[in-house]
Amino acid sequence: MDLSLLPQAIVSGVLASGLYALVSVGLALAIGVIGIVNFAHGEFFMVGAFLAYQLFVSFGFDPLLSLLFVAPALAVIGALIYLSSIRFVLRAPELNQMLLTFGIGIILQNLALLIWGGDPRTIANVPYRSLGFQVAGVSIGAVPLGSFVISLLLVAGLYWMLASTPLGRAMRAVAQNRIGAGLVGLEVDRVYLVAFALSALLAGLGGVMIGVIQSPTPTVGLGFTLKAFAIVVLAGLGNIRGIVGAALTVALAESLVATLVPNGDALRNMVFFAIIFVVLVWRSRRVA
Amino acid sequence: MSSVLRATGLSKSFGGLVAVKDVSFEAAPGEIFAIIGPNGAGKTTLLNLISGLLTPTTGRLELLGTDVTAMPTYRRCRLGLGRAFQVVQPFPEMTVAENVLVGAQFGSEGVSSSEARRRADQALERTGLDRLRDQPVEDLNLLQEKRLEIARALATQPKVLLLDEVMAGLRPGEARQAVELVRGVRDEGITVVFIEHVMPVVRDLADRVLVMDHGAELARGTYAEVTSDPRVVEAYLGVEDDDSRAGEESADARSVREAPGDDAGATAGRDA
Amino acid sequence: MRGLTRDLVATAAFAVLLVFLPSVLREVFGRASVSYLSLATNALVLAVLALSWDMLARTGQLSLAHAAFTGAGAYTVAVLFKLTGAPLWLGIPLGGLVAAVLALGLGSVTLRLFGIYFAIATLAFTEVLKAAVQRLPTAVAGGAAGINVPALFRPTFVAGSMERWEVAFLRNQGYFWVYAGLLVVAVVISVLIQRSRLRAAFTAVRTNEQVAGVMGVNPARMKLLAFVLSSFVAGLLGAVEAHRLGSVSPDGAFSVHTTVLALVTPIFGGLYTTLGPILGATVLAGIEETLKRTFSEGYLIGYGIVLVASILFMPRGLVGLASKLVKRGGASTSGRVGGASGGAADAAAEERA
Repeated sequence: MDLSLLPQAIVSGVLASGLYALVSVGLALAIGVIGIVNFAHGEFFMVGAFLAYQLFVSFGFDPLLSLLFVAPALAVIGALIYLSSIRFVLRAPELNQMLLTFGIGIILQNLALLIWGGDPRTIANVPYRSLGFQVAGVSIGAVPLGSFVISLLLVAGLYWMLASTPLGRAMRAVAQNRIGAGLVGLEVDRVYLVAFALSALLAGLGGVMIGVIQSPTPTVGLGFTLKAFAIVVLAGLGNIRGIVGAALTVALAESLVATLVPNGDALRNMVFFAIIFVVLVWRSRRVA
Repeated sequence: MSSVLRATGLSKSFGGLVAVKDVSFEAAPGEIFAIIGPNGAGKTTLLNLISGLLTPTTGRLELLGTDVTAMPTYRRCRLGLGRAFQVVQPFPEMTVAENVLVGAQFGSEGVSSSEARRRADQALERTGLDRLRDQPVEDLNLLQEKRLEIARALATQPKVLLLDEVMAGLRPGEARQAVELVRGVRDEGITVVFIEHVMPVVRDLADRVLVMDHGAELARGTYAEVTSDPRVVEAYLGVEDDDSRAGEESADARSVREAPGDDAGATAGRDA
Repeated sequence: MRGLTRDLVATAAFAVLLVFLPSVLREVFGRASVSYLSLATNALVLAVLALSWDMLARTGQLSLAHAAFTGAGAYTVAVLFKLTGAPLWLGIPLGGLVAAVLALGLGSVTLRLFGIYFAIATLAFTEVLKAAVQRLPTAVAGGAAGINVPALFRPTFVAGSMERWEVAFLRNQGYFWVYAGLLVVAVVISVLIQRSRLRAAFTAVRTNEQVAGVMGVNPARMKLLAFVLSSFVAGLLGAVEAHRLGSVSPDGAFSVHTTVLALVTPIFGGLYTTLGPILGATVLAGIEETLKRTFSEGYLIGYGIVLVASILFMPRGLVGLASKLVKRGGASTSGRVGGASGGAADAAAEERA
């Protein structure tokens, strides 16, 4: 174990946590407000990445500019999916909800495979892609830093929205008491629609950024669904506020394992899955 | 063996909330033992501790002389503990007979399938469900569902039968039938422990009554003794002034003071 | 017990049909029978996969770990022949056994997890297992690249007495019979569950585990039993697949696709029945073949659409649909319903009896 890599690992972990928080907070929104555990969440992320890629290839759009186009596009996609399917299983057994979103995920992923093929796609030739600077021997890339800042701003924006706007209050009311919210005249169905669209939008924006950081393939989605689950589960299902801390924990664990354990890179994903598994099993045994 | 069911200092807390506080009682063989109290008094939690759906925080529970405090539900059942639920919970996707057969087949060790079918038929007949045996449970009405609860519990061949508000929502005639059923069960030597809100039923059935309030024992004795206990009257009357506990509780309070007129005999109100 | 006898007789008839199917295809289609036979084999694989998943689902455990058990079976075979010179047919039962033991372990720690939590935990388990296998020493498990596996059948070309394509036919026929045997094993297990006290116990645990316990059913035992039976069959299947494909790799053996197929098929065909998964597999194998010919990648979209459509429009699957049609048809034009759907409905009706 090479401890001289520790500062770098910590910085990388912290920078990665922003994106994780952004993706997870969308999933937590769907779970907390609508009560739908969305297995297709990571696919919104993937769609965001490939839309940005297509905008770049077709029109030469800078990913920063693409954010402005991807956001409404994903909101519309999310809304359409809600209206055409999710809406009908709100009261269905949990199994049906889960399998429905699982099926939607399969459709989105394979649609992307049909359109873009299975090869990894990169948004190359962005002027700032290789930009970076060194602080005390720790290198910080402009892109990871930028995505960290943008993600945190978006998450903070969501928190502010939930805390201080009528829409946010409506969402919290619905989350706490579906029947009661209906009684005080909130249109629960519309709140759900907006929450689901917002959830897709946030994931899609995260996808745009991953398109610059990595070279995603259309199958990247499920992995991020699971990573988001790990974070949401760690924060406690439906706990939107706890997401940032959980994302930081998970991102740091991942980064530390990848850097400090020999051949640790292959273990990257295992960290997430081990966390999900252990946390779920441990919690289930504590209750009784 | 002087008691078939013995609870010693049973307590259960959820987080900081104490639902059952240091409850002790014994039920003798062939006794009908009632547990009453206002809503939220911890009666159903106590029943859940007895049947094993919850594990007590402290205390000890013996069934037929065996320590069952930490025993899983299915083993308590096979030892001789049957239970009918307050909120009827039939297995969907099964017929009436299939529901009862589950209890008959698994409620005791080593039951052959022909013996299980015999026991199921017997339980169906006793509860008057034999005509409905091939109906899907989704088609049953409330009275029939309550009967199914009792039939399933009886099919497990219990020595102790726990009944959780099986009379609630029944019309007087139906309740009388149910009372006869419970008496018949007791006459076979089965101990019955039941939670009930309908006071005339408690009066008619119970050999002894345990009154709970706020998770703890408030009084114990015969029906006449507990209903004349000023603390009991206060606990029931008190709730009527309390807005947050309106509804069913106040109905209970009324039924303590003025039992419905179709039943003769002393009412709690007159006793108090 | 009359029901059990009838089911077993039907299974035996089905088995005989499977034994003669290759010869019939060969007589009718000649050279083209090679590809028909592999399509039929795919349907068998899917049916075994689906039926084994359904057995577990009958206890309410909606597993996303099915790939872990087929993968465990496949790797057992691969590692066995890499390290030892074991007899060729030993790997398959061993694969089933390893998968069953693994299931016992996973099942024990997930006993208290329900619904969505169980699903997520089992999916996570699969990914951990995949990563762990990848991390095993290359000399044992071949790392990310995987290991080669010997073939079960190596028919040799005899010039003069046979044609070239017949070599491929004989190979396919061998695997077809092995999978047919697996399916019969799976069907017999499934029928025995459905025709014994286990059916009521499984259903009780699925629909209300707490009440099942109060009625004397031991939920932990039932859930573990289902897990072991289901994974044993899945392990056998994975082991045979390893032989047929000739190699295993972590990404292939533990692919999420396997899990997707395992759960979509019974949902499409009809959950908690013996016939539903088989019916679903037959239809889906045909759809998949068609899509595969059209698209090289992304053909799984068909499964996604089938899954979404099944949930939204056909919650009881093909079997449920068929029995509904029969009920409706029975009222107006009795006896005019085709044999296949009639049989399905009978089975569904029997299932309730």
